[in-house]
Amino acid sequence: MRVFIPLTLAAAAAMAFVSAPASATGVIKCKSGPVSGWKTQDELTKKLTKEGWTVRKSKVDGGCYEVYGTTPEGDRVEAYFHPVTLEKLYVGRRGEVLFRKPGY
Amino acid sequence: MLRIILNKKPTFWLLLAIPALLMLRRYASGDLIAMDMLHPTGEWAARLMIFAMVLSPLVSLLGPKPWLNWLVQRRRALGVAAFVYSVLHLVFYLIDMGNLVDILAEFWALGIWTGWAAMLLFVPLALTSNDASMRRLKAGWKRLQRLVYPAAVLVLVHWIFIHNNLIPALVHFVPLVLLVGARFFLSPKPQPKGA
Repeated sequence: MRVFIPLTLAAAAAMAFVSAPASATGVIKCKSGPVSGWKTQDELTKKLTKEGWTVRKSKVDGGCYEVYGTTPEGDRVEAYFHPVTLEKLYVGRRGEVLFRKPGY
Repeated sequence: MLRIILNKKPTFWLLLAIPALLMLRRYASGDLIAMDMLHPTGEWAARLMIFAMVLSPLVSLLGPKPWLNWLVQRRRALGVAAFVYSVLHLVFYLIDMGNLVDILAEFWALGIWTGWAAMLLFVPLALTSNDASMRRLKAGWKRLQRLVYPAAVLVLVHWIFIHNNLIPALVHFVPLVLLVGARFFLSPKPQPKGA
């Protein structure tokens, strides 16, 4: 019955290790109020696409919209936008800060 | 019967493949895009590497235990699985980036080159994870496999800086550092061969 010890261990490890989805990475926080006052991610994507961005993915992070994509200049970046104003707050590439709005 | 099947090496391989199969299925179904695959593949690579690395310290601290011995016999499989997940991680990175210009543009970011360097160190470790190499390299095999320690440091830095967040990396690495440290400080006597 010794086999049950490693089995139990494996099960416990599997339980403990189930990947929690990456939540707020804490780069930028937005005081953006209730979601009812937010513009949609679709609106943001449309606006950015018009400006020359390629949006690969967007999600909510720290009360902001976080966008993975390519800037009009051609840089692969991670960028944050205010969900109410859609203002650009932060642009970074793998942790290197390329743009940060003062105060954020 | 059940016990015989569970103790077979292929069963262990299958067990190690389950997370990959689950995430690849979600990728194939379009549920996840290449970018979404980076985090889980990388996390499993690091996790399996750490799992392989803590077995010796556990044996040193707890003494010989049947369940530990069961895992130690499968340690090489854990290491190879860690490598396979890191290859998946790299493949999805290449798919996500899509072109060399973008890859080179971010190469020297601290969170990126450390990942490449760790991958580079993993290659000789994986290539020599077989009986023939163990026989041919003799004592050198163990010395070579110790490259996993600098690789682990690179993985830690890669994880912290790619994620802009300490917590998930530390959840995995603190137990490793404690166990390796405890082994180093608590057992001054040389390790018996094969431990």
